[in-house]
Amino acid sequence: MPAASSGDTIFEHRFDNSLWLLFEPMPWLPTLSATLLLPFGSATDPDGLDGSGTVLHDWLQRGAGSLDSRAHSDALEALGVRRGGGAGREAATLSASFLAEELAAVLPLVASMACAPRLDESEFAPARELAQEELASLADMPAQRLLDALLRRFLDGGPGRSPYGSRDGLARLTPASVRADAEHRLGPAGAVLALAGGGTWDEVRDVAGRALGDWRGASLALPEPTLRPPGQEHVAAESAQTQIGVAFPAPPPGDADVYTYDLALHVLSGSMGARLFTEVREKRGLVYSVGASYRALHGFGYTMGYAGTTPERADETLRVLLAEIRRLSEGVEADEFERARTGTLSSVVMQGESSSARASRLASDALLQGRARTLGEIRGAVEAVDLEQLNAYLAAHPFPPATVVTLGPRPLSQDVAA
Amino acid sequence: MRARGATRRSRAELRFDHTVLPNGLTVIGEYNPHAVSVAAGYFVRTGARDEAGDVAGVSHFLEHMMFKGTDRRSAADINRSFDELGAQYNAFTSEERTVYYGAVLPERLPQLLDLLSDMMRPALRQEDFDVEKNVILEEIAMYEDRPHFRVFELGGRCFWNGHPLGHSVLGGAASIRDLKRAQMLTYFEHRYAPSNLTLTVAGDYDWQAVTADASRLTGSWRSFEAGRELPEPQPAAGDGHTEDAALSRVHAAAFAPGVAATDDRRYAAAILANALGDDSGSRLFWALVDKGLADSASLGHEASDGAGAFVGYVSAAPDRAAQVIDIYRQVLVHSQDNALEPEEWQRSQRKLATGLTLRAETPLGRLVSLGVGHQTLGRYQSVQDVVRAVMESTVEDGRALLAERPFDRLYVHRLGPDGTPE
Repeated sequence: MPAASSGDTIFEHRFDNSLWLLFEPMPWLPTLSATLLLPFGSATDPDGLDGSGTVLHDWLQRGAGSLDSRAHSDALEALGVRRGGGAGREAATLSASFLAEELAAVLPLVASMACAPRLDESEFAPARELAQEELASLADMPAQRLLDALLRRFLDGGPGRSPYGSRDGLARLTPASVRADAEHRLGPAGAVLALAGGGTWDEVRDVAGRALGDWRGASLALPEPTLRPPGQEHVAAESAQTQIGVAFPAPPPGDADVYTYDLALHVLSGSMGARLFTEVREKRGLVYSVGASYRALHGFGYTMGYAGTTPERADETLRVLLAEIRRLSEGVEADEFERARTGTLSSVVMQGESSSARASRLASDALLQGRARTLGEIRGAVEAVDLEQLNAYLAAHPFPPATVVTLGPRPLSQDVAA
Repeated sequence: MRARGATRRSRAELRFDHTVLPNGLTVIGEYNPHAVSVAAGYFVRTGARDEAGDVAGVSHFLEHMMFKGTDRRSAADINRSFDELGAQYNAFTSEERTVYYGAVLPERLPQLLDLLSDMMRPALRQEDFDVEKNVILEEIAMYEDRPHFRVFELGGRCFWNGHPLGHSVLGGAASIRDLKRAQMLTYFEHRYAPSNLTLTVAGDYDWQAVTADASRLTGSWRSFEAGRELPEPQPAAGDGHTEDAALSRVHAAAFAPGVAATDDRRYAAAILANALGDDSGSRLFWALVDKGLADSASLGHEASDGAGAFVGYVSAAPDRAAQVIDIYRQVLVHSQDNALEPEEWQRSQRKLATGLTLRAETPLGRLVSLGVGHQTLGRYQSVQDVVRAVMESTVEDGRALLAERPFDRLYVHRLGPDGTPE
C-alpha cells in the first residue's frame, strides 16, 4: 500500500513470517540501497556473554546458503556491491548498495546471511578474534571510549552495554553458545528490510518475498531502557584532550513533541551558527569539536552532548556547555527559530537525494517507532511547529539533570553538574 | 562491462557548463535535471604542499579564518547567513587544495554564491586570529588522540623525504603558536589568485545567473599568478617508528610509489589498490582481517599533482605487530609475482564503479569530484566518463604497474608502544 504524501511514496508489506518490507522509489537513480535490520544487539546479549551479538553479526557474513565465506563474498563483489553495516545496541545491520538492475541477483545473497547462514565451525574463531581485536583497539580511541562509558553510566542493564562486548564475555563465547543465541533472536519478527532507489515496487516485493518470505526463526523483544540516577564520573586515560559527555532523557521517538524538541536542539547545536558552537568555540576558543544531538532507542529518547578540550580548559568547557543547555528553557528568539526551521526543512529535502540515507532512515524509523515516515510527513510536522509553541514547550519542560562523564588525564576540579 | 549501465539513464540529461572570467577565475557547473538541491564551492589550488617551513599549517589555519569575517560580515554574520540559507556547508584542507562549499535549495543559490564569494576576500582580523589559534591548537590536540591519523602524518613526512607532499596539513603546535597574522596575510596574497580558484556548481541551477553573479561578485579581485613547485619525488623505503608508550596498539602506515593525478594509469592504480587492500574481499582483507589478526588492513591509491602513492594502514596488538606487518608487507610484495586474476580485477572494477555512481547521487556528493577533477585535469569528466575509464582498464594495466615493483620500495611507519626496531 503506498502511503503517499506531498509527492513522496513509501510502499510497505508484511510477509506471513512478520518480516517488514519497506521501499521508497527514487526512479531517477540507477542505484539502489538496501538495509536489512536484524533486531539483536548488545542490549539483548545473553547474560555473561557480552559481545555475542557482535560475533554473531560477523559470523553471519562468513558463508551462507550453498556458498562458503570466500565464495559468498566474491559473489557479492562480482556484482559490484558496496557493503556496510554493523552490530549495535538494539539491532545488527547488513546493508548493500548496488546498481538497481542487479536487484534479483544481489538481494538473495544479502538475505541468505540472515535466513541461511552457515555458521561454519572453522569461521567461529576468526570472527571472535576480530571482535577481540576491535575491543582492544578501543583503548586508542578516546572519543569512542567516552561514548561507551557515558551510556554505561546513563542507562541501566542491557541497553547500557557496549556493542564491543567485554573481554570476559568474548572469552566465554563458544560456537555452541552463539548458535544457541541465534536460535533465540535471529528471526524475521522485528526484522526490517528497507530499500530506496531505482527499481519498481512489484520487482522489489517479488524478489524480497522469494528471498525472505520463508525465513523462520525466533525473535526477542527489545527491553525498555531504564535510567540510572544522574551523576558524574571520570575515566582515567592518557590522552591529550579531556573528553566530555553529557546525557539526559528526551521525548521518545514517535512522540508528538519530537519535532518541537528537535527544533530546540537545532537552536542549541544544529549548525555553526548555533548557540553551542558560538559560545564554546567561536567566542571562547575552548574546543575544536562541540555539539549536542538527539538519539533514540526503541521507545526511549535522549540527548547527548559532547566536547573535547585540553585538560586545563575542561572545567570551563563543561560549565559553558551545561549553561547553554539550561538556558534553552528560557526560550529561543524568533530569528533563531526561523534559522532552525529553515535548516531542518532544507536537510529533509536533501536527505531525499541519497538512496542509502533514505534506506537507513526507513529502517530505523520502523525499528524505533513502528512506522516509516515519508519526507512529506516530516516536512509537514516541522512546518506545523510555531515559535510560541516551541517556547511554551521549553518553559514547561526544563531539561532534566544530566549524567556527566569525562575521560582524560585527570578528573575535573569540581563537581560542575551539582 | 555491465557497469556501463550504471549511468546510462541520466547520461543525456546532464549538462556541463564552463567559463573563465576576465580576472582568471574558472567557473564550472554540472546541471542535473533530477536534483532538488544545488551545491557550490570554491576549490583553491593551495594546501600544505605549498607552504614554506616557517608557516607550516597556515593553509588550514587560513581555511578557518575565512569563516571569521570579511569587510562586510563578522564571523557571527557568516555563520548566521549560512543558517538562514538552510545550508549544509563546510570546508577542508589537504596537501593539495583548500575547498569551501555549501548545498542549498536552488532558489537560495544566489545568496550562497554571494556569501562564499565574499568569504574568499577575508578580513583576517587580529582578534579573530588570536581566538581561532586556540581552536587550531585544540584540533591538533584532538588528532594527537587519534593515532590512526597521526601515523599518516609521521609516515608521510618520512616517505616523501623532503618532497612537499610530506608536509603536515595541521602543522605542529609550535609552528601554529609562532604564526603571525602578517605571515598568513602574505600567504593569502600569494596563493588566492583568481586563476588559482575554481568556482564549481552542481545540481539544479541557472547557468546564466551563475556566471552573472560570479562576474559581479569577483570582478574586483586582483589578477596575479600563483604557481606550484612540482619537484621530482625521491621517496624513502624501509621502516620507521615512533615510540608512544601510552598507546595500546601498534598503528602502521604504509607507502609505496604510485602515479600522478594526470597519469592515464591512475585508474589501474586505483583498481589495483582496491584488489589488494579494499576493506572487504581484498587480498589484505583475507590475509589479515578475515583471520582476526588485525581489525583493519587497507590500501588505497592517492593520485596527486605531479606524484602519487599507494597508502595503507594496519593496526595490531603489540605482541603480534611484527607478524602482522610482515604479512601485510608480504601480501603486497608477493602480488608482484603472483599475477592478478581477471576475476579479482573485475570485482574491484565493479565495486569502484558502484561507489562512483553512488557518490554522485547528491549534488554535494558530486561537487567534490567535479571540482577536483576539473582543477586537476583542466577538463570535464562526467561520472560516466570515469566509470567507463575504470571499466576499460585491463588486468594487463594492473600487471604493468606491478611489473615496476612498487612494493619492493614499501615504506612502513609504526606508531605505538614498541618503537624499538626488530
